[in-house]
Amino acid sequence: MKNILQAINVNKTFGTRGNIYTALQHINLQIQEGEFVGIMGPSGAGKSTLLNIFSTIDTPTSGEITIDGQNIVTMSEEKLSDFRRNKLGFIFQDYNLLDTLTVKENILLPLALSKVPPAEIEARVNEIADTFGIRQILDKYPYHISGGQKQRAAASRAIVANPSLILADEPTGALDSKSATSLLESLSKLNDSNQSTIMMVTHDAYAASYCKRVIFINDGQLFKELHKQHLTRKEFFQQILEVLASLGGGQHDAV
Amino acid sequence: MTLFSIAGKNIRKNFTNYFLYFASMIFSIVIYFTFVSLKYDSTIQSASDGSPKISSAFSGAAVVLIIFVAIFIWYSNSFFTRKRKKEVGLYSLLGVRKKQIGRMLFYENFLMGVLALIVGIALGSLLSRFFVSILMKVMGYDAISHFSISAAAIVNTFLVFMVITLITSLQGYRLIYRFKLIELFHADQQHEKEPKASLLTALLSLVFVGLGYWLALQNLMNSKAWAALGLMITPLVILITVILGTYLLFNTLTVTLLKLSRKNKKSYWKGLNIIGTSQLLYRIKGNARTLTIIAVLSATTLTAVGTAYSLYYSNRNAVSQVNPNSMMFINTDRKAASQADKVIQDSPDHKVLYHASLHLLGVDANTSGLDQNSSSDEQTFTVLSNHDFNELAKLQGKDDSLSLQADEAAALDPVYIEGISPQYVGSAITLSGNPVHEKIKFKELKKYSVLNQGTVYSTIVVSDELFAKLKPKSQMMAIEAYGITHQDKAKQLTKELKGILPEKAEFSSFYGDYARGMESSGLMIFMGGFLGLVFLAATGSIIYFKQLTEANSDKERYQILYKIGVKKREIRKTVAKQVLFIFALPLIAGIAHCAVALSALSRLMQTNLVIPVVVCMGIYTCIYLIYYFITVNAYYKIVTNTK
Repeated sequence: MKNILQAINVNKTFGTRGNIYTALQHINLQIQEGEFVGIMGPSGAGKSTLLNIFSTIDTPTSGEITIDGQNIVTMSEEKLSDFRRNKLGFIFQDYNLLDTLTVKENILLPLALSKVPPAEIEARVNEIADTFGIRQILDKYPYHISGGQKQRAAASRAIVANPSLILADEPTGALDSKSATSLLESLSKLNDSNQSTIMMVTHDAYAASYCKRVIFINDGQLFKELHKQHLTRKEFFQQILEVLASLGGGQHDAV
Repeated sequence: MTLFSIAGKNIRKNFTNYFLYFASMIFSIVIYFTFVSLKYDSTIQSASDGSPKISSAFSGAAVVLIIFVAIFIWYSNSFFTRKRKKEVGLYSLLGVRKKQIGRMLFYENFLMGVLALIVGIALGSLLSRFFVSILMKVMGYDAISHFSISAAAIVNTFLVFMVITLITSLQGYRLIYRFKLIELFHADQQHEKEPKASLLTALLSLVFVGLGYWLALQNLMNSKAWAALGLMITPLVILITVILGTYLLFNTLTVTLLKLSRKNKKSYWKGLNIIGTSQLLYRIKGNARTLTIIAVLSATTLTAVGTAYSLYYSNRNAVSQVNPNSMMFINTDRKAASQADKVIQDSPDHKVLYHASLHLLGVDANTSGLDQNSSSDEQTFTVLSNHDFNELAKLQGKDDSLSLQADEAAALDPVYIEGISPQYVGSAITLSGNPVHEKIKFKELKKYSVLNQGTVYSTIVVSDELFAKLKPKSQMMAIEAYGITHQDKAKQLTKELKGILPEKAEFSSFYGDYARGMESSGLMIFMGGFLGLVFLAATGSIIYFKQLTEANSDKERYQILYKIGVKKREIRKTVAKQVLFIFALPLIAGIAHCAVALSALSRLMQTNLVIPVVVCMGIYTCIYLIYYFITVNAYYKIVTNTK
């Protein structure tokens, strides 16, 4: 199987001499095509920093990162923009939909940016809207729809351009449990049927249990890795909770 | 930390934001100071030969300036306060009393006002000398070296602006009491709704503007619309329809057009057009009022400055229209005339181009044959012979001649206005002075004269034959006409001749009218120009602030765009496009309004104003463009600042 993401010995430090804070330390990570990977860890463990670095909106202090065969550390600012547009899809906790655009326009934005012809745009948008079940709300504005619908619209936008890697940052963070389940099921379905590669940062064990593999980070270092393999989702959920308990920061989430 | 020190800190931290406001305020103060200085300065009064015109003109201009500056500061202030709603909300949430917040805002505003005032007066003291020399130059005076700064001007400026600052600062203090805490805190989270626009109102806007333009471009004299509405009401109707039309234009037509452009998916779904268009669509309605004010202000400024500059520009032309000879007078006293001749011939600065002595007749006539609106049918004409006309025309370098026979005549009317002046050609009048009784027919009309209008009555040219017949029976005038070089600099010579010639000689000179024209139009252009610059600076900074506020609320959107892979270069492009739209709309509307107003004016004045008007518009647009680039830069910086 093809390696989509490869991080070798990634370090990230903040601050100046004498007052250095290490956010990430010796991170080595591989994500293969068609994987659904969850990143977990207590607050301040470095999850968001890692995600930002993979998103190319932050740079590591040292180390090498290749996504879909391209080294993103040495890439120029201009090229990075193109790279993000073509290879990456983003789902954010607070949806980040543009409220001056309809749901449909929000979804087609990446295609419009890549100057795809209108007919093709129309077809792609309708297809994805069906996958996420938001066909009826395509012409509504973000402030008219619910949080769950917003997040599904955002997810649609993330995958509409067929990115190599989808990065999700706490996608269920602002959703009620029903909407969260529906979104996670959609993502899971997408991963199964389209072989989409997804990396999801979450602190919610329930959300993480939909992943095929969960990586735990603590104090900026890789702590443990769990594979779902043949386990049912419930069993996997129990395993995740146990690791979180051992991390100490997770009890809260394990209610 | 006291409230006062917090206020000081806020100003320092926000200085880049305030800079343009600060600069506009300083600029207004400098101009106001200059105007007031001119009002008080005695040397200028004496330079303008003691005419009270300058002082009263500058008083008037200063009042206009005060009103405008007060509105500008008041507007900017409420604007700043609104912009800082969230900050104020936070203070409030932390338990700072409204009174204290109000006081802090008051201090901030007051500090800025005082600072601007000090800098303004200091700069004004330095620059007013320079401005005065500009004024002297445009008015055609020799530069004066002993212009001094008067203490009265400083006190006046200080008091006036202190009062304005106090009032507007109090306004800032009061503003805080109008908001609820929840409003303050959620100021940014209010969702903007997509604006609605009806096609009908959009069309109505075009109808309004069209109607206003149509009315303005009518011929005053024979328009039925003007006759029906009356000369007093029509300009008001024009003003109202155009302003209302402009507002609706910005309010609905732009929305309608933007919505229509969304229908074209090929261009709408291409790159960042989708962002730019929708962003504009949401914003334009909220901006309509500001844009209208700016458009109207631009139009007024451009028209006023355009008119003043046109007068200035066409002064020489207008003056030579009524004074085709450099000097002309009636030879009433042989001795004085020969003395005057000697002075002119001996003048070291001027060469005599020609000297013509001729005879004119003063004849009364019954003008009932002319379809004229004048109340009286009796009018005195100055009569010139065909031969003398041809001779003078040749001396004056006019490539024109007349050959009149028998009872044929030609009218000379340098101020002829189509529709207002009588229809000469084809009509007949009767020269009816006692004992003359001759009927003459107008064969031609010349829209110029060969005689200075200051010396003679309305002039008609008759055939040599008729002239000879009239001569013994009419009152005769011996006329001396001179053409000299450098006639626009004949100050000394004109003064001398005035001293020599008696009142009855009706002395008229090119220089006299020219200097008077330069004086008044120079004054107008100076005041119009500087008032215009103040308006421009203020309107420019109003758009700037509005755009920056929008940039702050758009920040998040652009950050999303950046994350999903829009290049910074593309962001800059779309920002430039959006801001251009906001800047260009009022400018285009203003220029269009001004063009219509000035073409109506140019028709009334019978002069071609294209060059001076285009120069004015060009300068205005250039300065406006500078504001545009500053705004784009600031906007871009705000939305791409990732912190």
